[in-house]
Amino acid sequence: MLVVQDLHAEVDGKAILKGINLEVNAGEVHAIMGPNGSGKSTLANVIAGRDGYKITSGSVTYKNKDLLEMSPEERAWEGVFLAFQYPVEIPGVNNTYLLKAGVNAQRKHQGLDALDAFDFMSIVKEKAKLVELDPSFLSRSVNEGFSGGEKKRNEIFQMAVLNPSLALLDETDSGLDIDALRIVAGGVNKLRSADNAIVMVTHYQRLLNYIEPDFVHVLADGKIQKTGDKSLALELEERGYDWVKEEA
Amino acid sequence: MNLIEQTRQQADALFNQLGLPSKRDEHWKYTDVSAWADALQAEPTSSNIKAENLGIADLDVYRLVFINGVFDGTSSNLPHDIDILPMSEFLSTHEGQALEAYARLFDVQADAPLMNGFEAYNAAHATDGAAVCLAANSKLDKPLYILHINNQNNIVRHGFILGEHAEAEIIEHFIGTDAQRGLSNMASHIILQDGAQLQHYRLQQESSKQAHIARVDVKQHQHSTYTLHAVELGGALSRVDVLVNLAEQGASCALHGLFVLSGRQHVDHHTRVDHTAPHCTSNETYRTVLDGRSHAVFNGKIMVHKDAIKTDSSMSNGNILLSKHAEIDTKPELEIYNDDVLCAHGATVGQLDDKQLFYMRSRGISQEAAQELLTFAFADEVLAAMNNDVVRRYVEQAAFAKLPHNEDIEGMLTT
Ligand SMILES: Nc1ncnc2c1ncn2[C@@H]1O[C@H](COP(=O)(O)OP(=O)(O)O)[C@@H](O)[C@H]1O
Ligand SMILES: [Mg+2]
Repeated sequence: MLVVQDLHAEVDGKAILKGINLEVNAGEVHAIMGPNGSGKSTLANVIAGRDGYKITSGSVTYKNKDLLEMSPEERAWEGVFLAFQYPVEIPGVNNTYLLKAGVNAQRKHQGLDALDAFDFMSIVKEKAKLVELDPSFLSRSVNEGFSGGEKKRNEIFQMAVLNPSLALLDETDSGLDIDALRIVAGGVNKLRSADNAIVMVTHYQRLLNYIEPDFVHVLADGKIQKTGDKSLALELEERGYDWVKEEA
Repeated sequence: MNLIEQTRQQADALFNQLGLPSKRDEHWKYTDVSAWADALQAEPTSSNIKAENLGIADLDVYRLVFINGVFDGTSSNLPHDIDILPMSEFLSTHEGQALEAYARLFDVQADAPLMNGFEAYNAAHATDGAAVCLAANSKLDKPLYILHINNQNNIVRHGFILGEHAEAEIIEHFIGTDAQRGLSNMASHIILQDGAQLQHYRLQQESSKQAHIARVDVKQHQHSTYTLHAVELGGALSRVDVLVNLAEQGASCALHGLFVLSGRQHVDHHTRVDHTAPHCTSNETYRTVLDGRSHAVFNGKIMVHKDAIKTDSSMSNGNILLSKHAEIDTKPELEIYNDDVLCAHGATVGQLDDKQLFYMRSRGISQEAAQELLTFAFADEVLAAMNNDVVRRYVEQAAFAKLPHNEDIEGMLTT
């Protein structure tokens, strides 16, 4: 589904990604771990299409198409979703209507008719229940005045409604207490299927107790230094990251 | 010669002394009115405007209509038992204290803040206006809608005096019928007695060749509240001076401004809030969205005087430039003469927020729609302060119609 080959990216002339290789197939869950500042969010942002990064070499192919050629909205229509590490507040823009416009733009792209208000609301209510999002959040401005945990829950709620093929979760577990973590992870698990894939960036092994990964990658210094199964995450928790770099 | 005539002659003398402001004047350096100087004194000719179906529809209001500054009785609808009258009629049918109070509204002083020749000329030569005189403890049961329909010169002077604990909502609306060149010279003089409350709308939608020059002068007594919603959409040039004197303790005012400009429109607001007494509050929020080669000027001055302890004051001015040819000159000013105050003020000038744009696009909203939506939301936030839903919706539609939009995104706003 996703093939990243020798990806190099710079910000303001500073090299951040220095040759990333990653292959994600349908049905798989990948975890990306690594020290702060190693480039994990940069990788997620580049895949989602955020401006401000200069791709100096390499390629990103998604469903056999060149992802780097597409605008962020085209990527969304094609089924790429990014749950932000720091979800953005948008005063004055309604949470639900934003999603409705997003869903209908995607449907239009797929040649489908727009959902009417009733069908859309029944999906919204069902998905809000899935992540136990209080319905009062639906009619508020996007993320405005939400607590850190509520913002993360809102990200997973949006993901549930948009139903992506490739979900990138950037530290969705940070700032969640254990109950919220269980709810969010439960939501993610319900969305897992043989047709979609999940790439989650995390610092903590504890998330992986709830969402079991097929692969664990260590990203350090702009490169994937090591790949293993979930036991690698346990080892990282015990020994930190330094040994991985030394070994590499 | 009666009191009014005498006062107006003095105003004319002041006009002759002041002349019209020029760009050399610090407060007029961005706004060049020389092109309208010849229009100032031109006499309006009669027009055949039919006012019945003009203005905001679906309003349940008292209605006072002025066509080029002349009261239009046939399309007006005034209450019977309340003193809301054309100024000309009020002055000729009242005497004693009531007359004196209104005569004072024609008294212009050279040393008043932001005094200028337009205001002096207005006091001397206004053809009419609305006189609103609310008795103590009375509440106007419906808003008063003052519709100004202009396609030529007009000079109008309103006086609103609200007695103790009186309450009213007054909507001033300025529209143009066709694009002849003219000058609207407007003044609204307002006195709020103890505990009085006024919601005041000024919706400027003059035609594209009209200049609109106005002064809003408010004096507030104890615990009175004044709320202004100033919307600037029309006209070629608009200059509005808003002066609020929080003269007695516990008074509060809120000034909300929204400019949505395009083409070569030029809008300049100078606001001046004087905290003269202790325990007064002022909040000021101005937002502008500028497209094309439009130019906005915002100069907001808050003056906290020596005795005005426990002043609570905030002022913010946000500006979005949609075009690289649009221009904003913004200057929030704060002068404080005691240290027991809480004041916050600031201005921002910018394009749309990249993080917000990317967030929306990552949810499948096209770049164009995301930009439009953010612009609408930015403008809409000021409108959320409007308590009259019919007016708010009307302004929303009119403001949105001026903003670039291709997709149906109005439903996506929270208000
Ligand atoms: N927009 C940006 N401008 C400047 N530097 C950036 C920007 N985004 C990321 N960086 C830098 O790139 C490096 C990697 O950041 P990031 O991808 O956020 O790391 P991680 O998510 O692994 O903590 C850091 O040194 C960070 O300061
Ligand atoms: Mg990060």
